[in-house]
Amino acid sequence: MFGMEFYVDPSRCIGCQSCLKACEECDTHRGVSMINFDFVDRGETIATAAYVCWHCDNPTCAQVCPADAIKKYEDGIVGSSLKPRCIGCSNCVLACPFGIPKLIPENEQMMKCDMCYDRTSVGKRPMCATVCPSQALAYVTPETIAATRRQKPVNTFRFGNQKITTKVFMMAPADAAEIAIDVADYTWEGEHEVVPQAF
Amino acid sequence: MKWFRKPSSAPLWQDEFPVFTAEERYVSRRQFTKFLTLTSLAMFAGNLWILMRSILHRAPSYPRQAVAALDEVAVGGLKIFAYPTVNDPCILVRTADDSYVAYSQKCTHLSCAVYYETETKRLACPCHQGYFSIADGSVLQGPPQRPLPRVALEKRGGELVAVRLEGEGV
Amino acid sequence: MAKAPPLEELAALYGPHLNYTPAGGWQGESSRGSETLVKTHCCFCGQQCGIQLKVRDNRVVGFEPWEDFPFNRGMLCPKGVKRYLQGNHPDRLLDPLLRTDSGFRKATWDEALDFTARRLRELQTKYGRDSVAVYGGASLTTEKAYLMGKFARVALGTRHIDYNGRLCMVSAGVAYKSVLGVDRAPNPWNDIACAEVLMVVGANIGECAPITTDYIWRARDKGAKLIVADPRFTPIARNADLYLPVRPGTDLAMLMGMLHVIIRDGLTDREFIATNTTGFEKTAESVEPWNPRRAAEVCGVPPEAIERAAHWVAGSRRTMIMHARGLEHHSKGVENCEATVAIALVTGNIGREGAGPIMITGQGNGQGGREHGQKCDQLPGQRSLTDPAARAHVAGVWGIEPDDLPGPGYTAVEIMNAIHSGEIKGLLCVCFNPLVSLPEANFTREALERLEFFGVMDFFLSDTAAHADVVLAGSLQEEEEGVTANVEARVIHIRKAVDPPGNARRDSEIVCDLARRLGKGKYFPYHEPREIFEELRLASRGGLADYYGITYEKIDAQKGVFWPCPTLDHPGTPRLFEDGRFFHPDGKAHLMSLAWRDSGDPVDADFPVYLTTGRVVSQYLSGTQTRRIGALVDQNPEPKIEIHPKLAGPLGIKTGDWVTVTSRRNAITLQCMVVRTIRPDTIFIPYHWPGGRSANRLTHRTLDPRSKIPEFKVSACRIAKAAAPGGGSSGPGGPS
Repeated sequence: MFGMEFYVDPSRCIGCQSCLKACEECDTHRGVSMINFDFVDRGETIATAAYVCWHCDNPTCAQVCPADAIKKYEDGIVGSSLKPRCIGCSNCVLACPFGIPKLIPENEQMMKCDMCYDRTSVGKRPMCATVCPSQALAYVTPETIAATRRQKPVNTFRFGNQKITTKVFMMAPADAAEIAIDVADYTWEGEHEVVPQAF
Repeated sequence: MKWFRKPSSAPLWQDEFPVFTAEERYVSRRQFTKFLTLTSLAMFAGNLWILMRSILHRAPSYPRQAVAALDEVAVGGLKIFAYPTVNDPCILVRTADDSYVAYSQKCTHLSCAVYYETETKRLACPCHQGYFSIADGSVLQGPPQRPLPRVALEKRGGELVAVRLEGEGV
Repeated sequence: MAKAPPLEELAALYGPHLNYTPAGGWQGESSRGSETLVKTHCCFCGQQCGIQLKVRDNRVVGFEPWEDFPFNRGMLCPKGVKRYLQGNHPDRLLDPLLRTDSGFRKATWDEALDFTARRLRELQTKYGRDSVAVYGGASLTTEKAYLMGKFARVALGTRHIDYNGRLCMVSAGVAYKSVLGVDRAPNPWNDIACAEVLMVVGANIGECAPITTDYIWRARDKGAKLIVADPRFTPIARNADLYLPVRPGTDLAMLMGMLHVIIRDGLTDREFIATNTTGFEKTAESVEPWNPRRAAEVCGVPPEAIERAAHWVAGSRRTMIMHARGLEHHSKGVENCEATVAIALVTGNIGREGAGPIMITGQGNGQGGREHGQKCDQLPGQRSLTDPAARAHVAGVWGIEPDDLPGPGYTAVEIMNAIHSGEIKGLLCVCFNPLVSLPEANFTREALERLEFFGVMDFFLSDTAAHADVVLAGSLQEEEEGVTANVEARVIHIRKAVDPPGNARRDSEIVCDLARRLGKGKYFPYHEPREIFEELRLASRGGLADYYGITYEKIDAQKGVFWPCPTLDHPGTPRLFEDGRFFHPDGKAHLMSLAWRDSGDPVDADFPVYLTTGRVVSQYLSGTQTRRIGALVDQNPEPKIEIHPKLAGPLGIKTGDWVTVTSRRNAITLQCMVVRTIRPDTIFIPYHWPGGRSANRLTHRTLDPRSKIPEFKVSACRIAKAAAPGGGSSGPGGPS
C-alpha cells in the first residue's frame, strides 16, 4: 500500500513483545493480539520470532473456508474472517501452512492479522511495525530495504509440494531464493522441481 | 447456469464464491438491499415531486381580456373569441338584456366546436349530438361526460372582460 | 511507628490489581472524534521515547505512536505501549491517607499536610535539623527534582537529601566526572548507528533499553562489529560477532586485560593521549601485570577473546563502548567505568561521530534528576555543594545566605543505614520504593519500622508506602507539565494531558504547600511548573549542566535541546569534546591508575554460586506501576531463576521446579527455568517483585566507596531444590 511492503526479520527480534501489546490495543479486536510470537526453544536459546499474517497471493485459509468468510482484497491484504459468515470451524487454522489464524472460542470466530487495514489503507504503517524497537517487523519501501539491509527479502516458500508466494517478505541470507524447510525439497528425483540453490 | 460461465477448470463453487474480491460477480445482500432501497426512494421522491407540483399549481393566473362592448352583442346573439390564448376558442352568448355567459367552445367530449342553438337555447355539439345547458354549461344530453369550462366575465367600464376560466382540467 | 498494616486488607483495597482495559472500555469503530492526542514522552526508562497519549473526557484512554520524534521515530517497548493503563486505575490514590491501627483512612489535605509539617518540625526541634531526611527520585521531572533539592535544603534545612538514582547512575557519574570533568553521555544516539565497532558491557539493551536495539542493528547493517560482554546471553548477544561471558564482578579484570593488550600492541593514539590527557603513565603501569592470561583466569573469558576484543576496539576510529548497570552495580563500579572511558581515551575514540564511551541512563529522568540538586552533594547545574562559588550563586538565586545552605549529607543507602541505627528519625519519600529496590530488603524493612515519622508521596500505595504514617496522593507523569533529559542529555518536554483525578494533586503543588506550612512559603511561590523551570534556568546558569538557554518553546521547536545550552540563541550541544577539550580546568581528560579488588560478598564453599540480579522487559524497576498493568504482568507473571543445566542437573532441578536460593542474609524460593543462556556458575533473578519474591532479600549492602552504589550485580549464594512451593506473600515485607 502506498508503495510500502512488510518485511519480517526474525534475526533482529529481541523478544520484547511490543508488537503483541500494540496490536491488542486496536479497538476492533479489543485486547486480543493478532501477532504469532514464539520463544523458539528457551532452554537452548533466547531466540524469539514474531510473525504477522503472510497475506499469501493464493491464501490457503480462504480456499478452504466453507463459509466464504475470508477474502483477499485488491491491494493484496487477506482480511480476517468476516464476522457474519465465520462459523468457527477451524478449517483455516488447520490449513494455514504458517499457522497464523487463531480461533477465538469466546467469539466462535477466527481472527488473524489484517495488516491494520484501518491504518494501511490511509497510508499509515501497521501498529506492530511502527512500535517494533528492533524493526524485526518493518513496513518500508523496497528501495529502503535494498539500501539499508544486507539480507535479501524473499517471499516464496515451499511446503512439500505446495509452493506459496506471499505479500509479506521474510529477510533471508543474500543467496536465498526461496525458503524451504524440508530436505526433500532439495533432493533430485527425476522431474521433481527442487529449490534453486547456488552451487 | 452452466452455459453462462467462461470456460474454467475450477469447480463451479470456486467460480461462484471467489476468494478475491476483485473477481466477485454476485452482489451481496447488503448491496442488493441498498439498491432496492435507493430505487424505491427515488421513485417515492419522484412521486412526491409530482404531488407537490400539483398542489402548488392549484391556481394558475389568467389574464384579463376585453371580450366585447356591452351592446355589441344583441340579446340572444353570440360572439366567438379566444381566451386565454389564441388556441382556446370561446363562445359568448347574451341570454337576456343584462345577462351574459361565456364558455369554452371545445366540446368536452372530443373538442369539436359547439354552437348556440337559439330555438332550444342550448349549446350543441354537431359531432355526436352533445348538448350543454346555457345556464351553467352542464351536460344535458349526449356523450360528453364533463361540463363546459365557463369563462368568468366582469362588466368593466362598458366592456365585458374575461377574467378566469373555471372548471378547466377537471 | 511505621510498621506495615495487615497485608491482605491492604492488598484488597490498594492492590496491586491488574488493569486490562482502557477507561470507558474498548470503544470500537462507532466511537470516533472527541479524542485529542497529546505529544509527550514515556514515563518509564531513560530512552524517554516520544509517544502520543489519547485523551477523551479528561482521561487517558490509549496511545498513538509519535513518528516524528527523532529519537525513537514511533518505536516503543511494551511498557510504553501499555503505560496509559495507569490512568483510571482502581488502585489510584484519590485522597491523602493517614495511618490508623488497622490500616489507612482517607484524610483531607489540610489534615495530611499539617500532620506532616508538624511531625517534621517536632522531630527537627527535638533531635536536630539533620534528623529528618528526604528521598527523591529520578522519574520526577527536572522541575520537581530541583524542587526536592531546594525543599530539603531551604524548607527543611536538612543535609540529607538523596534519590533513587543512587542505585543507578552514580558509578558512571563519578567516573565520567572524574575522568572527563562532566557527568553526561558524550555522544548523541545517532552516533551509534555510525559506529564501526560497538562494545556493549553489562547492558541488556534488548530488555532494558529496547529502542537502542534499532540503532545497533542499523550499525550492523552497515558492517559494524558487535561485541557483547555479559554473564548472560541477552537478546542482542544473538547477533554479537564476539560474546564475552564475563564472570559477575570481574569486568575490571577483562577491561584491564584489554587495556594491557592495546598498550602492549602499540594500538594507542599517542598523539591524542599526549595532547588531550594526563595520567596515562598511571594507567599503563597499573594494567601492566594484567596480561590476557591473568585477566582470563579472573574473569572467565578466554584470553584469545580478550585479545580480539582489544584489537577490534583499538583498530577502529569509530568505536563506541556502551555500558549500563551490569558494569556499574559493583563495589568497584566507578573503576569499571573509569577503565571503560580509559579504553576510549587511549584509542582516541571520543568527541567524534561514532566514537565515544556511552553510559546508558536507566531511569526516565535519570539524567535530569541527577544534575539539579537532588543529590546529597550537589547543587543545580551539576555543581558541587562544597564549592563556595556555586553556593554563592545558588543561594543568590534562592534568596538565602550561602551559609544557610547545609553541607553534604548521606547517600541513599547510608540514609537507610542511619534510619536503622536511629540517627535519622523522620523520612519524606517521593518517587522511590526502597523496600523493593534497596539491597537486603529485611534490613530496609526493619529500618522503616524504626522511623518516628514516615511520609510518602505517590500515586499508588507502593510496598514502601504501606509503612507510612501519611501518604500524600500525588500525580502521574501525564498530570503535570515539565521537562526531563533523556539518555543523550536531550532536554525534552513532558506535556500535561489530564488533571489529577479525585482529590489527588500535582506533586509540585503538594511540595510547595508543605513548604508553606513549614513557614518557608516565600521561597516556593510557584503556581506552575513553568515558573520552577524559569528559576532552574537561572540556578543552573554557568554550571556544567547549563539550562539557561533552554525554554519550553525552544524544546518544542527543536524536538529537544542538548545541554549545555548557555544562551538563548545557542542551539544546544549534541556531542561533547569535539574540540578535544575536556571539562576539567586544565581542559584535559584525567586518566587514572586502576586497582583490582574483590567484590563485597565473595563466593566460598558455603555459598559457591554467583547471584546476579537484573530486569525483564515487561516490568519497570520496583514494579509499583507495571505490576498493576495486566498485559505486562501476563508477559512475566513471576520472577524466574535462570540456571544453567550444568548447575541444575546435579541438583535434580528442571524447568518449573521451585528452587530455594540462600545468601548470607536471607533465602527465597522461586520457580526456575533451566537455560543454556547463562554462565554455569551464575544464577539470575529479576528484582521487580516485593516480599517473598524479592531478589533484594538476598543482596548485600556493600557500597562502592566513591559512588555509594550498592553491589547488586554480584552476591554469593547456594541453591537447592525446594521442599515446598514458595514465593507469594509468604514471609514479611509488604504487599506482594
